[in-house]
This record gives sequence, structure tokens and C-alpha cells, in this order.
Amino acid sequence: MNEERMIELAQHLGARAAERLNVAATARNVVARLQEPPVERVAWIQQTWLRIAATVVVLIGGSFALLRLRSNEQRPDVIPHVAHFVADDLNDLSTDQLRDVLATFDEVVSDSSAVPESSPDLRELDARQLRAMLRSLEG
Amino acid sequence: MAHPLPQTETSSDATLIRAWQSGDERAAAELVARHARPLARFLAAAGAPDAEVDDLVQETFIRAFRSVDRFRGQCQFRTWLLTIGGNVLKDFGRRAARRKVVPLDEGVRDVAGDPHEFAEASEAEAMLAEGLKKLPRLQREVFLLRAQQGLEYDEIASALATTPGAARVHYHHAVRRLKELVK
Repeated sequence: MNEERMIELAQHLGARAAERLNVAATARNVVARLQEPPVERVAWIQQTWLRIAATVVVLIGGSFALLRLRSNEQRPDVIPHVAHFVADDLNDLSTDQLRDVLATFDEVVSDSSAVPESSPDLRELDARQLRAMLRSLEG
Repeated sequence: MAHPLPQTETSSDATLIRAWQSGDERAAAELVARHARPLARFLAAAGAPDAEVDDLVQETFIRAFRSVDRFRGQCQFRTWLLTIGGNVLKDFGRRAARRKVVPLDEGVRDVAGDPHEFAEASEAEAMLAEGLKKLPRLQREVFLLRAQQGLEYDEIASALATTPGAARVHYHHAVRRLKELVK
């Protein structure tokens, strides 16, 4: 199709829609609508701003939660709650992990009869002794 | 108190705009009567579903009259109106896409809505309409302003806030792409 033919066809595009248009009615409707306040647009703007505000809140909240999660993951000194260790199979824990768990029970341990009198310092216990102590605390 | 100006067939658009700005509603009605059909042709060719053309024409005039203070006579009133129509159509397409009711791209030839009308349309015309749907919006509008509305590049450039050279380039890109699409 050459350019001249395109122009010729383009001049016919939309001709039926234009013929069907009731121009007098359109003019009346336009004039009537011009007398109304532009409420619709104001409402649309308000809705849009509400959506933007909601999106910002969600993004900031999500980012904050993600940052907290990541910062906790990166802190090796944060020990998961003792209850988690107790619930796990103690055989899966290393000596250091067992020592860390027991360290949190320091006060309890000091009153416990499970602690050998000759080994008041937890650092001196080996893995077997630490497991035995933890099992006794678990009841 | 507005003083309606005597309106004749020869009243210029500028005169009618001033009258409307002074509160003369008959001037607004006259401007609608003058430009509604060319606007409807432009919107339909640019992809407006046939069933929506009436509403889109009204919306375009409402938007134009409410922002007429921004019209500085940089181009003809009709050209300015057509560019507003392009924006109205773009907004309609976004709303339709969100509601998933009337996809704009299926609206150029409303086959399902009116098969009889579709049968009347020539095959070549339908092919051109299909090709226009695939053009970028700016190329499509420049092509229609030039080919359908018969505007000069200077006029198109003023309406679209670009240069005549850029408008010419957009037109030629549109024609080249249409030649590829419509074989």
C-alpha cells in the first residue's frame, strides 16, 4: 500500500462514528456538564493520592521489617531462644552451641545439683557432660 | 453579567472562545457543533471503541473548555482540541485496562459489537486501522493529524510542542511502519 492510498483510507477512518454522533445532543450535554463542578476529577486525584500514600506506607514498613530481619541474621551473638534448642535433638548441637545454651542458664545452673562440684566453670565441661547437664535441666 | 456575542457562521474560533470565557454558553455550543465530528473521526481512527466515541468527544470538550485559559493561540483551536482528545483517549485506555472491560486495542473495529458495520468497512481500511493500532502513540497521532486531518507540519509541531522537523520524522516513520504492517 503506498502513501497516497494510506492518506485516502485514513480520511475515511472514523467516518461512521462521526456520522452517528448527535452533535446537537453532544453540545447540550457538554454545556450542561460545564455547569457542574468538576467533582469527578477531584475525587480521582484524592483516590490517587490515597493509593500513593498506602503504597509508600507498605514499602517503608516492608523495608523496615526486612532490615530488622537481615540485621538479626548478621549478628552472630544473637542466640536463638533456649526453648528451640531444648526441643531439638541435643546430639545435633556442637560443644560451643551447648555451651552457649547453658550459659543462658547460668543462674539456674549455679543452683542445680547436676553441676559437678569440681567443675564450676562451664568452659571446662566436654560435650558429653554438657549434654548430660542439659538433659537433666530439660527434665 | 455576560453579554452574548452575536454568532454567525463567520465568527472565528477565537471570538467564540472569548465569548465562552465571558460566560456565553452558546459560544461553547457553537464550538462543539463546529468541531465534534472531526474530533469523533480522529478518536475513532486513533482506537476509540465506537460505543465510546460520544462520551470521549464530550469529555474532550469538557477538558478543553475547563483549561481554555491555557490555549494561547499557538495553533488552531481544532488542533489543540485533537491533542486533548488524544490524552482523553489515553486515559480511557488506562481505565479500561484496569477494569479489563473494553480493551482499547480491540476497539478500533468493534467486530463483536457490530458485525454488520464491520462488513461494510473495506478490507484495506480495516488493515490500515489494524496497522495504526500497532504504532507508538505519537506516530499514530502525527500520522492522523497529517493524513486524516490534513494539517501542516508547523501546525502539528505547535500542537505537540515539538519541531516541524521532528513531526515530519514521526510521520515518515509512521508511514514506513504502516507499509510494513499493511501489505
